[in-house]
Amino acid sequence: MADIGKVRIRVPSTIKPGDVVRVRTLVIHPMERIERDAQGKIVQKKYRYIDRVVATYLGKTVAAFDTTQSVAENPSFAFTFRATDPGVLKVVFHDTHGSTWEGTADIRFS
Amino acid sequence: MNHGRSISRRRLLGGLGVLGVAGAAGGLTLGRPARAGAQQQAAALGAQESVQDALRRLFGSRPMKDGAGSVTLDVPLIAENGAVVPVGVEVASPMTAANHVRHVYIVADKNRIPVITRATLFPESGRAFVSANVRLGETGDVRAIVEQSDGTLLQVKREVKVTVGGCGG
Repeated sequence: MADIGKVRIRVPSTIKPGDVVRVRTLVIHPMERIERDAQGKIVQKKYRYIDRVVATYLGKTVAAFDTTQSVAENPSFAFTFRATDPGVLKVVFHDTHGSTWEGTADIRFS
Repeated sequence: MNHGRSISRRRLLGGLGVLGVAGAAGGLTLGRPARAGAQQQAAALGAQESVQDALRRLFGSRPMKDGAGSVTLDVPLIAENGAVVPVGVEVASPMTAANHVRHVYIVADKNRIPVITRATLFPESGRAFVSANVRLGETGDVRAIVEQSDGTLLQVKREVKVTVGGCGG
């Protein structure tokens, strides 16, 4: 649990200008599922799960995900973007308890 | 199947840990009940509802075309562990400002919360590809619904067999 909010981003090791780059990203998060009591009733509480993921590159949003509790624990997402200039790819995760975590990856051309 | 199911329940219980035995068993025997007690906080995107209700809520009565020609849904045939199932969706689209894929919805028919995620894409995305790790409660269809920038909806679906359900209570 201590690792909650650790963000990992994987980009290809070599990128050429103009490439469409496939990115994988992962965050350590419990994504709490709905719990039920002995009678099978749903426990009413504020479940903690990630409900929004936003990826930006050079200040522009390139992909966003709205998610529900049907997404797996330690959710992993993949998306693509067109690498035009060197810059920073940033992915921000928001959860229902108001926490946000972000990870960045440098996009450099080799 | 019965045999396999009882094993899967046991493994599910062992794996979950957090749920009391009684609670989990109660939840399982109830099947998929109680839209009445639906979670309000999940708000716009996800709710405990049937997949028909979910699709009606999201898309109303808009026509949905078969996307078999242009949409590729990448799911395993058999998911041994429903708690983590990789689902990928790729759409053949030029991704220009005039013609691109705006949203990709991933929906699992048999989940208590059928709408899993809505991905929003932009022309800057370059290619219409998304993937996510999802939970599947039980064997059933997984759909990808693609909304293009002109508002057309395309749908593809495939059945995924789930050995051990991953949605728990």
